[in-house]
Amino acid sequence: MRTEAQVLKGHLDTLLLASLADGPRHGYAVKEALRTSSGARFDLPTGTIYPALRRLEAAGLVRGTWSEAGGRRRRTYELTPAGHQRLSRDRAAWRDFAAAVSAILEPAL
Amino acid sequence: MSSALISDYVDGLHRRLPAAIAAEAADGLIETYEHHLASGAGERAAAHAAVAEFGDLETVAGEFTRQAPGRRAARMLLATGPVVGACWAAALVLGRAWTWPVPAAARAGFGAVLLLAVLALAVAATSQRSYQRTRLTTAAGPVILVLDVTAVAAAALTAPALTAVLGTAAAASLARIAFTAWTLPRLAAR
Repeated sequence: MRTEAQVLKGHLDTLLLASLADGPRHGYAVKEALRTSSGARFDLPTGTIYPALRRLEAAGLVRGTWSEAGGRRRRTYELTPAGHQRLSRDRAAWRDFAAAVSAILEPAL
Repeated sequence: MSSALISDYVDGLHRRLPAAIAAEAADGLIETYEHHLASGAGERAAAHAAVAEFGDLETVAGEFTRQAPGRRAARMLLATGPVVGACWAAALVLGRAWTWPVPAAARAGFGAVLLLAVLALAVAATSQRSYQRTRLTTAAGPVILVLDVTAVAAAALTAPALTAVLGTAAAASLARIAFTAWTLPRLAAR
């Protein structure tokens, strides 16, 4: 049986893309969005968000840009058009999967 | 930013990771630290809370290493290598390649270079903590590319007949040439 952390890791890419769906965010805000949206259930070490964001950037799904704010350079991440496409595909796939699992685990009474 | 704990951590990131990646991770750590400062913690407490929340240096640098593009490319090449190799093995055995006019030194040289490239890829593919090692792919990748080109050219020049199985092996090499040529420029920047 896989632990919840391992399952979460399998879905991290989609969750990160979803947390950027509403617009550009800093890395910390991405992590906070995951934590608050999941009711504090998904509380990842912040440092592991960045390697994942970087990988998504290499895959062309996320774009990171440096900007000057408050006297230091800060990095902002946003979805690319390919990232938006991937997110809607992942969302549809998840809805189908979740519906199928629910149909088995919670059959209508 | 003035906490010694934070600046030590940032120094550690720069020692372990390429500059651009270290800068990105440092930005994240400092952002976490500032978040704790803003919520009222003192400098020391905020620094400790930030490091605890961010994850220790081993974990973070290790995660960057495991997700390094060089490591992923090396894994891809190692995973597909046996397929390309098997195609060539079948073509060479069926075509009785030992009768082709290829000097023994060239055969041995090809084998030795291939072995070295595979070893370098294996080191890059299995690196858990050293980001530097994942960059071996940028050295081994071009070697694999040249070996593929050499194999296709040597077969075209010396094989007595173009058989279907030889064509398959050449196609496998050409596919890998395309993959390597597409991937390498993306690794060079990272």
